[in-house]
Amino acid sequence: MTEPTPHPRTPPPPGAGARIGAAFAGAGVTGWLHARDIDTDAEVDAGADRPVVTASVHKLCVLVTLHEAAAAGRLDLTEQTEIPAHGRTPGPTGLGAMLDGARLSLRDAAFLMMSVSDNAAADVLLERVGLDAVNATTRRLGMPRTEAVETFGSFLGSLRKDAGPAGPRAFADPRVIAGLRALDPARTNRSTPRDMTALLAAVWRDEAGTPEHCAAMRRILGLQVWPHRLASGFPFDDVQVAGKTGSVPTLRNEVGVVAYPDGGRYAVAVFTRAASPAATLPAADAVIGTAARLAVESLRTPSPPGA
Amino acid sequence: MDLIRHVQCFVAVAEELHFGRAAQRLGMAQPPLSQRVQRLERELGVRLFDRTTRQVTLTKSGTLLLTEARNLLASAEALTATARHVREGRSGLVRAALSPDIAGETVAAVLDGFAERGHGVELELHELSTAEQVDRLARHELDVGLIRHPCDVTGLELGPVLRHDLGVLLPHDAPAAGFEVVPLAALAGYELILFPRELAPAVYDDLLTTCARHGLTPQAVRHGQGASFTRGLLLSRRAVAFAPRTESAPSPSSSPFPSSSPSPETVWRPLAGAPLAWRHSAAWPRGRGEDAGVRAFADTVTEALGRTAASESDTAVPMPSHPLHLRPAAEYWI
Repeated sequence: MTEPTPHPRTPPPPGAGARIGAAFAGAGVTGWLHARDIDTDAEVDAGADRPVVTASVHKLCVLVTLHEAAAAGRLDLTEQTEIPAHGRTPGPTGLGAMLDGARLSLRDAAFLMMSVSDNAAADVLLERVGLDAVNATTRRLGMPRTEAVETFGSFLGSLRKDAGPAGPRAFADPRVIAGLRALDPARTNRSTPRDMTALLAAVWRDEAGTPEHCAAMRRILGLQVWPHRLASGFPFDDVQVAGKTGSVPTLRNEVGVVAYPDGGRYAVAVFTRAASPAATLPAADAVIGTAARLAVESLRTPSPPGA
Repeated sequence: MDLIRHVQCFVAVAEELHFGRAAQRLGMAQPPLSQRVQRLERELGVRLFDRTTRQVTLTKSGTLLLTEARNLLASAEALTATARHVREGRSGLVRAALSPDIAGETVAAVLDGFAERGHGVELELHELSTAEQVDRLARHELDVGLIRHPCDVTGLELGPVLRHDLGVLLPHDAPAAGFEVVPLAALAGYELILFPRELAPAVYDDLLTTCARHGLTPQAVRHGQGASFTRGLLLSRRAVAFAPRTESAPSPSSSPFPSSSPSPETVWRPLAGAPLAWRHSAAWPRGRGEDAGVRAFADTVTEALGRTAASESDTAVPMPSHPLHLRPAAEYWI
């Protein structure tokens, strides 16, 4: 049997992992990170192979699958879809929060799914392409540990059911948190930080579809509105951050690409779990940006000659 | 066939998707690794990997079997660990921990209580912070512990959560000592003595956030833990500290937590609305709850701390009871 040629892997610069771990601990979270230079595959690994709950980050896989179906001619992205007011997946943003029926093209539904993490739009698209297709896409793109097992509606439903009649107040109880199915990667949609940077790299290298489709996906990822996680680590007007967040009580995630004006581009996936179940934890959001910047800066630090 | 060893090879290749790297990780040469994976494929009757000259990918069957394979390895590890205990004659041993903030009397009560209900199981008691306990529970180096919330409870099962309301210790001549029940906002002019943040960042932040929510942003935060150090700061500055009820205040029994020793110069007052509390619970790795030693320790600490715990339901973390309509704080909505 002939074994494959390895991708060149640069060992992480000393200290990056330790500094990232200290940043997570200082923010009161446990975190797992993988960062990848999109053009060289140099990497920073801080728990990159840990199975993690993806939550809304999995919408990125839905997006890629949708574009794959469009490229294969199975659907037309400009096709109009009726989205009635009743029976759609609820959420705090987008169609999930709107009160009336809507009519949108598939690609605009995808825009809402990614830019404001619209759960209703995501499930409309997921129903269109199917969970199996999403999993076929992630496997084809070299993400062996990524698996979508349920819709976003089902994910939120399990959260509601596990919380019980007390609703969100129940999340203040550590015993409720310890028993949430939505926090167990074995029982819901899952991935690893390394898998997610592989997917992002494929989109940025035009390997996840045709160059036109990859460009369309990059546009949508660049229109994401949340500034408090990954983007907060790069408060520089000339550095662009495109990403997708994911949240469940105690979990805060974001995967995205950071692009510098010198052409350097880095895929970063950060998954965190906070000790505190509080919904408002600015430090836990911001440490996603801090950890990402520590990783990207270590990838951008030139090695001394002969090292 | 050594199934466990072969499954280890499968998982390593599945995670690396590269035979060379997997071999390196396992500390073996590549040809025997390839042979083992092929042997496992023959044994299971399924192909686990698609191999081309350029890359290795998991087959659908491989993906389906990977989770099972990981579970098998985890069980094998647990089996080996238990066997080691039995071999070392420690089958009747429970490795347990209490955090350093538990009062000496409570530790003694736990040891006595365990001797009564432990049915001859030997107790190996450690003094460990919550972070250390959580870490060791995850690595199966600890069987049960008493942890302080909030903390990351991944993979743990918990006993009842016990809440001990915090009051405030002040110099006896401080104006706020004139209140029977002190509103947090009345402490705004004081410095606050608090444990160093790195010991438990989430608990520390939670506490300061709750203070801010109730109108208290301290003049300064001084870090200290020891009773006499805290007392010194209390007496020499306009400083206050939070502590559970002490013997100086009327109480059915003594507190399970040490606090500044009661003295004529300091007074303890409850806080209005009891916004602050220590919250503890027994914790053990998921699935170990039926283990006799674990059960006995969890029951013993719950009883020892429960005697003084507040009885009302636990709502220490403020959560809006009504839906918010102003601005989404998160992407989920239930």
